[in-house]
Amino acid sequence: MEASKVDMFIMANAKNFESYQLSQIRDKLIAADESKWPMVQMVQLKDPSTSLIISIFVGHFGIDRFIIGDVGIGVGKLLTCGGFGIWTIIDWFMIQGATREKNMEKMQQIL
Amino acid sequence: MIRNNLYLLLSGACLLGYSWIALNYLDPAFSDNKYFNGCLIKAITGIPCPSCGTTRSVLALSRGEILNSVMLNPFGLIVLLILLATPVWILVDLLRKKETLAQCYRYIETLLLCPGVAIPVIAIVLCNWIWNIYKGL
Repeated sequence: MEASKVDMFIMANAKNFESYQLSQIRDKLIAADESKWPMVQMVQLKDPSTSLIISIFVGHFGIDRFIIGDVGIGVGKLLTCGGFGIWTIIDWFMIQGATREKNMEKMQQIL
Repeated sequence: MIRNNLYLLLSGACLLGYSWIALNYLDPAFSDNKYFNGCLIKAITGIPCPSCGTTRSVLALSRGEILNSVMLNPFGLIVLLILLATPVWILVDLLRKKETLAQCYRYIETLLLCPGVAIPVIAIVLCNWIWNIYKGL
Protein backbone atom coordinates (compact mmCIF):
# COMPACT_ATOMS: atom_id res chain seq x y z
CA MET A 1 0.00 0.00 0.00
CA GLU A 2 1.04 3.63 -0.43
CA ALA A 3 3.05 4.94 2.51
CA SER A 4 1.08 8.21 2.67
CA LYS A 5 -2.24 6.35 2.93
CA VAL A 6 -0.86 4.08 5.65
CA ASP A 7 0.53 7.04 7.59
CA MET A 8 -2.86 8.75 7.46
CA PHE A 9 -4.48 5.60 8.86
CA ILE A 10 -1.85 5.32 11.59
CA MET A 11 -2.29 8.98 12.56
CA ALA A 12 -6.07 8.67 12.71
CA ASN A 13 -5.99 5.45 14.75
CA ALA A 14 -2.85 5.83 16.87
CA LYS A 15 -4.86 6.05 20.11
CA ASN A 16 -6.55 2.71 19.40
CA PHE A 17 -3.30 0.71 19.56
CA GLU A 18 -0.41 0.29 21.97
CA SER A 19 2.50 2.51 20.95
CA TYR A 20 4.85 -0.44 20.45
CA GLN A 21 2.38 -2.00 17.98
CA LEU A 22 2.24 1.02 15.67
CA SER A 23 5.48 0.36 13.78
CA GLN A 24 4.49 -3.28 13.33
CA ILE A 25 1.07 -2.29 11.94
CA ARG A 26 2.68 0.28 9.63
CA ASP A 27 5.12 -2.29 8.22
CA LYS A 28 2.37 -4.84 7.71
CA LEU A 29 0.07 -2.31 6.04
CA ILE A 30 2.79 -1.16 3.64
CA ALA A 31 3.59 -4.76 2.76
CA ALA A 32 -0.10 -5.60 2.30
CA ASP A 33 -1.85 -5.67 -1.06
CA GLU A 34 -3.84 -2.61 -2.21
CA SER A 35 -7.02 -4.75 -2.33
CA LYS A 36 -7.00 -4.96 1.49
CA TRP A 37 -7.47 -1.18 1.89
CA PRO A 38 -11.32 -1.25 1.93
CA MET A 39 -11.24 -3.95 4.60
CA VAL A 40 -8.75 -1.96 6.69
CA GLN A 41 -11.03 1.06 6.49
CA MET A 42 -14.10 -1.00 7.37
CA VAL A 43 -12.66 -2.64 10.49
CA GLN A 44 -14.47 -1.44 13.60
CA LEU A 45 -11.87 -0.40 16.14
CA LYS A 46 -13.01 0.31 19.68
CA ASP A 47 -12.01 3.53 21.40
CA PRO A 48 -10.13 2.87 24.69
CA SER A 49 -11.54 6.06 26.28
CA THR A 50 -15.11 4.93 25.62
CA SER A 51 -14.45 1.54 27.18
CA LEU A 52 -12.91 3.27 30.21
CA ILE A 53 -16.07 5.37 30.69
CA ILE A 54 -18.25 2.26 30.29
CA SER A 55 -15.99 0.40 32.73
CA ILE A 56 -16.29 3.10 35.38
CA PHE A 57 -20.08 3.30 35.21
CA VAL A 58 -21.28 -0.21 34.33
CA GLY A 59 -18.12 -2.31 34.62
CA HIS A 60 -19.73 -4.04 37.60
CA PHE A 61 -22.03 -5.89 35.18
CA GLY A 62 -19.19 -6.81 32.81
CA ILE A 63 -20.57 -4.58 30.05
CA ASP A 64 -17.10 -3.11 29.35
CA ARG A 65 -15.85 -6.62 28.54
CA PHE A 66 -18.92 -7.41 26.42
CA ILE A 67 -18.34 -4.23 24.38
CA ILE A 68 -14.74 -5.09 23.47
CA GLY A 69 -15.71 -8.68 22.63
CA ASP A 70 -14.43 -10.51 25.73
CA VAL A 71 -17.84 -12.12 26.28
CA GLY A 72 -16.60 -14.96 28.48
CA ILE A 73 -14.94 -12.62 30.96
CA GLY A 74 -18.00 -10.35 30.80
CA VAL A 75 -20.27 -13.23 31.82
CA GLY A 76 -17.82 -14.07 34.61
CA LYS A 77 -17.98 -10.52 35.92
CA LEU A 78 -21.75 -10.40 35.65
CA LEU A 79 -22.26 -13.67 37.55
CA THR A 80 -19.89 -12.79 40.39
CA CYS A 81 -21.05 -9.25 41.28
CA GLY A 82 -18.15 -7.84 39.23
CA GLY A 83 -15.65 -10.32 40.65
CA PHE A 84 -16.70 -9.35 44.21
CA GLY A 85 -16.13 -5.71 43.22
CA ILE A 86 -12.37 -6.25 43.11
CA TRP A 87 -12.20 -7.19 39.44
CA THR A 88 -14.34 -4.16 38.61
CA ILE A 89 -11.72 -1.88 40.14
CA ILE A 90 -8.82 -3.77 38.52
CA ASP A 91 -10.57 -3.44 35.14
CA TRP A 92 -10.73 0.37 35.48
CA PHE A 93 -6.98 0.20 34.97
CA MET A 94 -6.83 -2.80 32.62
CA ILE A 95 -9.65 -2.08 30.19
CA GLN A 96 -7.81 0.45 28.01
CA GLY A 97 -4.93 -1.96 27.42
CA ALA A 98 -7.38 -4.81 26.81
CA THR A 99 -9.24 -2.69 24.23
CA ARG A 100 -5.99 -1.90 22.38
CA GLU A 101 -5.03 -5.60 22.40
CA LYS A 102 -8.44 -6.53 20.96
CA ASN A 103 -8.01 -3.87 18.25
CA MET A 104 -4.64 -5.37 17.39
CA GLU A 105 -6.23 -8.83 17.16
CA LYS A 106 -8.79 -7.45 14.71
CA MET A 107 -6.05 -5.90 12.56
CA GLN A 108 -4.07 -9.14 12.60
CA GLN A 109 -7.12 -11.03 11.35
CA ILE A 110 -7.26 -8.77 8.29
CA LEU A 111 -3.55 -8.51 7.55
CA MET B 1 -7.37 -16.22 24.03
CA ILE B 2 -4.61 -18.81 24.02
CA ARG B 3 -5.69 -22.16 25.45
CA ASN B 4 -3.28 -22.27 28.39
CA ASN B 5 -4.11 -18.71 29.48
CA LEU B 6 -7.81 -19.49 29.32
CA TYR B 7 -7.43 -22.68 31.36
CA LEU B 8 -5.28 -20.87 33.93
CA LEU B 9 -7.86 -18.09 34.22
CA LEU B 10 -10.74 -20.55 34.53
CA SER B 11 -8.97 -22.69 37.16
CA GLY B 12 -8.08 -19.56 39.14
CA ALA B 13 -11.68 -18.35 38.98
CA CYS B 14 -12.97 -21.79 40.07
CA LEU B 15 -10.51 -21.90 42.98
CA LEU B 16 -11.61 -18.45 44.15
CA GLY B 17 -15.26 -19.44 43.73
CA TYR B 18 -14.80 -22.61 45.79
CA SER B 19 -12.90 -20.71 48.51
CA TRP B 20 -15.61 -18.05 48.68
CA ILE B 21 -18.34 -20.69 48.94
CA ALA B 22 -16.34 -22.66 51.55
CA LEU B 23 -15.87 -19.51 53.66
CA ASN B 24 -19.59 -18.79 53.50
CA TYR B 25 -20.45 -22.44 54.18
CA LEU B 26 -18.26 -22.58 57.30
CA ASP B 27 -19.48 -19.22 58.58
CA PRO B 28 -22.95 -18.29 57.28
CA ALA B 29 -22.51 -14.73 58.58
CA PHE B 30 -19.20 -14.27 56.72
CA SER B 31 -20.53 -12.01 53.95
CA ASP B 32 -23.29 -10.58 56.11
CA ASN B 33 -21.35 -7.65 57.53
CA LYS B 34 -21.52 -4.01 56.60
CA TYR B 35 -17.85 -3.75 55.53
CA PHE B 36 -17.64 -6.32 52.76
CA ASN B 37 -20.58 -8.31 51.51
CA GLY B 38 -19.04 -9.32 48.17
CA CYS B 39 -20.90 -6.74 46.11
CA LEU B 40 -19.68 -3.20 45.52
CA ILE B 41 -23.06 -1.89 44.32
CA LYS B 42 -24.92 -3.29 47.31
CA ALA B 43 -22.28 -2.01 49.72
CA ILE B 44 -22.47 1.52 48.30
CA THR B 45 -26.11 1.98 47.29
CA GLY B 46 -27.90 -0.73 49.28
CA ILE B 47 -29.62 -1.91 46.08
CA PRO B 48 -28.82 -5.50 45.07
CA CYS B 49 -27.15 -6.15 41.68
CA PRO B 50 -28.40 -8.83 39.21
CA SER B 51 -26.19 -11.53 40.73
CA CYS B 52 -26.67 -10.73 44.42
CA GLY B 53 -27.83 -13.81 46.32
CA THR B 54 -25.87 -16.22 44.12
CA THR B 55 -23.77 -17.45 47.07
CA ARG B 56 -26.87 -18.09 49.17
CA SER B 57 -28.45 -19.81 46.18
CA VAL B 58 -25.44 -22.11 45.69
CA LEU B 59 -25.40 -22.91 49.42
CA ALA B 60 -29.13 -23.73 49.29
CA LEU B 61 -28.46 -26.04 46.34
CA SER B 62 -25.69 -27.78 48.27
CA ARG B 63 -28.27 -28.52 50.97
CA GLY B 64 -30.60 -29.90 48.28
CA GLU B 65 -33.14 -27.06 48.49
CA ILE B 66 -33.64 -26.56 44.74
CA LEU B 67 -36.83 -24.48 44.91
CA ASN B 68 -35.39 -22.29 47.64
CA SER B 69 -32.24 -21.65 45.61
CA VAL B 70 -34.18 -20.74 42.44
CA MET B 71 -36.34 -18.37 44.47
CA LEU B 72 -33.17 -16.73 45.87
CA ASN B 73 -31.41 -16.29 42.53
CA PRO B 74 -31.60 -18.60 39.48
CA PHE B 75 -28.00 -17.61 38.60
CA GLY B 76 -26.93 -19.93 41.45
CA LEU B 77 -27.81 -22.94 39.26
CA ILE B 78 -25.64 -21.65 36.39
CA VAL B 79 -22.74 -20.80 38.71
CA LEU B 80 -22.84 -24.21 40.44
CA LEU B 81 -22.98 -25.95 37.05
CA ILE B 82 -19.92 -23.96 35.86
CA LEU B 83 -18.08 -24.59 39.14
CA LEU B 84 -18.72 -28.33 38.97
CA ALA B 85 -18.10 -28.83 35.25
CA THR B 86 -15.07 -26.59 34.59
CA PRO B 87 -12.38 -28.34 36.76
CA VAL B 88 -13.39 -31.78 35.47
CA TRP B 89 -13.48 -30.52 31.88
CA ILE B 90 -10.04 -28.87 32.21
CA LEU B 91 -8.56 -32.08 33.69
CA VAL B 92 -10.04 -34.25 30.94
CA ASP B 93 -8.77 -31.82 28.28
CA LEU B 94 -5.27 -31.74 29.77
CA LEU B 95 -5.12 -35.52 30.05
CA ARG B 96 -6.39 -36.09 26.51
CA LYS B 97 -4.26 -33.16 25.19
CA LYS B 98 -7.28 -31.63 23.46
CA GLU B 99 -8.96 -28.25 23.69
CA THR B 100 -12.67 -28.99 23.69
CA LEU B 101 -13.32 -26.50 26.53
CA ALA B 102 -11.53 -23.69 24.67
CA GLN B 103 -13.56 -24.50 21.55
CA CYS B 104 -16.78 -24.52 23.56
CA TYR B 105 -15.78 -21.20 25.21
CA ARG B 106 -15.18 -19.60 21.80
CA TYR B 107 -18.45 -21.01 20.47
CA ILE B 108 -20.41 -19.56 23.41
CA GLU B 109 -18.62 -16.21 22.93
CA THR B 110 -19.65 -15.97 19.27
CA LEU B 111 -23.14 -17.23 20.11
CA LEU B 112 -23.66 -14.56 22.78
CA LEU B 113 -22.59 -11.85 20.32
CA CYS B 114 -25.49 -12.69 17.95
CA PRO B 115 -28.34 -10.21 18.52
CA GLY B 116 -30.87 -13.06 18.48
CA VAL B 117 -29.25 -14.57 21.57
CA ALA B 118 -27.88 -11.41 23.20
CA ILE B 119 -31.21 -9.56 23.42
CA PRO B 120 -33.12 -12.35 25.25
CA VAL B 121 -30.15 -12.89 27.59
CA ILE B 122 -30.03 -9.15 28.43
CA ALA B 123 -33.80 -9.19 28.99
CA ILE B 124 -33.50 -12.18 31.36
CA VAL B 125 -30.68 -10.47 33.31
CA LEU B 126 -32.73 -7.27 33.60
CA CYS B 127 -35.83 -9.19 34.74
CA ASN B 128 -33.72 -11.00 37.32
CA TRP B 129 -32.35 -7.67 38.53
CA ILE B 130 -35.85 -6.23 38.95
CA TRP B 131 -36.87 -9.42 40.77
CA ASN B 132 -33.79 -9.11 43.02
CA ILE B 133 -34.66 -5.51 43.94
CA TYR B 134 -38.28 -6.56 44.54
CA LYS B 135 -37.15 -9.39 46.83
CA GLY B 136 -34.72 -7.03 48.60
CA LEU B 137 -31.84 -9.54 48.69
